Amino acid sequence: MQYGILDAPDFAMLKVRLEQPGEKITAESGALVAMGPSIEVQTSMRGGLLAAAKRKMLGGESIFQNTYIAQAPDQDLFLSAPAEGDMRVLELGPGQEFFLQSGAYVAHIGDSLQLDTQWGGVKSFFSGVGFFMLRVVGPGTLFYAAYGAIHEVQVNGQYTCDTGHIVGFGPGLTYGIRKFGGFKGLFFSGEGLVCGFEGTGSLLLQTRNPASLASFLQPFRPVNSRD
Amino acid sequence: MQHQIEHGPAFAWLKVQLAPGERIQAEAGAMVRRTSQLTMDTRLNAGRGAGFFVKIWAIFVAFARKLLGGETLFVNEFHGPQGGEVVLAPSLSGQISHQLLSSGRRLFVQSGSYLASTGTVDTRVRWGGLRAMFGGEGLILLECSGDGDLFVNSYGGIVAMPIDGRFVVDTGHIVAFDGTLDFRVKSVGGVKSFLFSGEGLVCEFSGQGTVYIQSRNMKALVGWLTPLLRG
Amino acid sequence: MYYEILYKPTHSLAIAHLAAGESVRAEASAMVGMTHNIGVQTQGAAGSGGLFKGLKRAFLGGESFFTNLFTAQGAAGQVSLAPQLCGDMIVHQLDGHHQLFIQGSSYVSAPDTVQLDTQFQGFKGFFTGESLFFLAASGQGPVLLNAFGAIEALDVNGELIIDTGHLVAFTSGIHYEVSKAAEGWISSYLSGEGLVLRVYGQGRVYLQTRNPSEYGRSVGSKLPPRGN
Repeated sequence: MQYGILDAPDFAMLKVRLEQPGEKITAESGALVAMGPSIEVQTSMRGGLLAAAKRKMLGGESIFQNTYIAQAPDQDLFLSAPAEGDMRVLELGPGQEFFLQSGAYVAHIGDSLQLDTQWGGVKSFFSGVGFFMLRVVGPGTLFYAAYGAIHEVQVNGQYTCDTGHIVGFGPGLTYGIRKFGGFKGLFFSGEGLVCGFEGTGSLLLQTRNPASLASFLQPFRPVNSRD
Repeated sequence: MQHQIEHGPAFAWLKVQLAPGERIQAEAGAMVRRTSQLTMDTRLNAGRGAGFFVKIWAIFVAFARKLLGGETLFVNEFHGPQGGEVVLAPSLSGQISHQLLSSGRRLFVQSGSYLASTGTVDTRVRWGGLRAMFGGEGLILLECSGDGDLFVNSYGGIVAMPIDGRFVVDTGHIVAFDGTLDFRVKSVGGVKSFLFSGEGLVCEFSGQGTVYIQSRNMKALVGWLTPLLRG
Repeated sequence: MYYEILYKPTHSLAIAHLAAGESVRAEASAMVGMTHNIGVQTQGAAGSGGLFKGLKRAFLGGESFFTNLFTAQGAAGQVSLAPQLCGDMIVHQLDGHHQLFIQGSSYVSAPDTVQLDTQFQGFKGFFTGESLFFLAASGQGPVLLNAFGAIEALDVNGELIIDTGHLVAFTSGIHYEVSKAAEGWISSYLSGEGLVLRVYGQGRVYLQTRNPSEYGRSVGSKLPPRGN
């Protein structure tokens, strides 16, 4: 199998070549752009019904995922994320750990890669959709996407960031949700709750916030006249 | 006429320098700026030399396109006795691709991807078939023929995919394809995949020619945004 | 203080570098991340101008009523800032003489050595439906602007017709009048261009390669309906 990322960082797209029959990759539903004629698509619930329902409830990801399996040699497959932005690949060795914001997941290779949705606590529940973390444990290959470019911050001590800008972070960091700039800041700053990181490790931020796009589009939505 | 495509792939715009008397026709609402010597005429996009019934048909089709998330009824034509410069941009983020059409080359363009054209280039609406309608994908194609330049825009980057044999593209990722290719709309995988895969319908191309695909899909963007929306 | 801009042009991120004790003001919700020693004060009305100025900014200029003042406490610090939509950011240096007129949603941040006031453009502004109220920036120092799409800095010397939705900012010295896009009212409406700006004089105009309202209409109309 070979893969590469095209058009990064503006409109990153994953190109995979399945070289041998039987080679496969699993992707978030809706990620397909195009593919060769001899690829079989299997739709399944990842980790069974309960795990899938938990993911849907907590992470906002879809319940279903698609596995693309080559039926002939040299089949090309193109996958992309829904929004503008960059895409990265991460190779995880056995037992290696990475925390990914659940909406950033695109695809993975390897049946033994674990993807567990973590409950971010009551506070994070109120901080807005998207701040649910997937705990990813190797071995396997993970493909993830950002809304915007990916800005890496080497945290050594403490760092504060907006929850909507988190893509993922390595195992050396812990986080807590807190108010931004005092009581007035909580309501009027436009930031609400922020995420405080502590420890030593790499924190990946996306340069745009999905919630900002949603609030920009709010006045342009059709109005439900029955209300 | 000279042209430059700048600021791609994310936010491409088309800059056109018209010589005296030269004309370019563009999708309504696409103008960013123009020199004050150029005049803009607005007209119904019904094809050249269209008769009364063709115009009625064009209005009907335009409304259908509008309902299915397509484009507007009207096009603007820019021209002037001294020539000048006009800059055109689509409404979505993405790339612009220049295509040369001639008697030997016609192109099918996804209706939302038409930006501008010159010369005798004419556009006619073709339905992607009942299945495309059923899938709610709104795969409505414009058959572009004639002699001249055609500018198409995409949501996302554009990849030119040469096809010799068969190839499958999600209907939401099609920008344009050569008139030499055959295509049929079908569902991906079996019944379960059709219902739950989130992929909806795909277009299977066969023959020889090029398909231009876009790396992003409006339906996927809407699906991604929906859980983030307030009431 | 100074701004550093990374990931140009599509996903630009601005990092405000503050020396110990320095401050910078930014629009609400622009903050992406910051070092731990940054203190934040949420204030109305651009700090200095009082309640009336803040209300005027919010209702006429399309800007947020509240702004955040970030101060580096005890040591140097950094605040990273991003706009609402994808696109480029630039820094325009004010020299103390020339003003910069900024289209409401294009302003992101400036230090308090820059004064902002909402410029009411008079009756002609009401026609466009898009905000034709400008923030007039004066004083000395950098102003951080964002664009929806790439930015074109155009030195105007003569006359040009510009779609209002593509305008980011222009310097004093540029004059404009609002006019119909085509000859007649009906074709102006059908053309999809509505009203345009006829720009003349000498100075700099910043344009953005996409129109936020057009983008909003294209994508917003495909979203599920909202309640009233």
